[in-house]
Amino acid sequence: MSVVKGLQSEIFVPITPPVVWTPVTKPLSEMTVALATAAGVHLKSDKRFNFAGDTSFRVITGDIPSDELMVSHGGYDNGDVNKDINCMFPIDRMRELADEGIIKALAPVNFGFMGGGGDVRYFTEETGPEIAKQLVEHNVDAVLLTAG
Amino acid sequence: MQRAIEEAGIPTVIIAALPPVVRQSGSPRVSAPLVPMGANAGEPNNVDMQKAITKETLQLLETIETPGRIVSLPYEYIAVV
Repeated sequence: MSVVKGLQSEIFVPITPPVVWTPVTKPLSEMTVALATAAGVHLKSDKRFNFAGDTSFRVITGDIPSDELMVSHGGYDNGDVNKDINCMFPIDRMRELADEGIIKALAPVNFGFMGGGGDVRYFTEETGPEIAKQLVEHNVDAVLLTAG
Repeated sequence: MQRAIEEAGIPTVIIAALPPVVRQSGSPRVSAPLVPMGANAGEPNNVDMQKAITKETLQLLETIETPGRIVSLPYEYIAVV
């Protein structure tokens, strides 16, 4: 059998990067948990996301009532989320779970951004690390993401 | 995003409507209820379903011990389009 060194497919195939893994070190009931979503959630008073691609993010503080939130995202059907923001950003459910002692608290800072395209490099190198930095600064123990 | 947060030392879990896409991006912990892209946490105004999905996804933080695990959740919502 002949072997050709360096032979490579001309077709681009997706590459799955190695999983990044931070171990959990405390029980869920002692965790302050943040929400982060690529579903385009933000305050009604915030600037809307640019549907053509937007690498910015919006901070949603832990005390914001859910009826002050909305979505701007051009990449999925907004019908359900317009009826009830909790179906993509379960902020009221998180508060209920905190009241029941399942988690310690909803985080003081939560994040909305618009996934589904745009400048992936900028997201990876700038937006993601900046959100992560703010989560660390606010001593967040874990993050629940939606829009996967 | 999930990668950046994990790299900063904070554990994460994601609710996925599209588990194969999430697997492709190398997510560490994934819950997969049967939901559409527009309603990851369940049917609008269905508090019980949303709460169950949210709670059982959070509990995966404690129970998933293998990086990259995707756990199906027994909830289904089909959006009326």
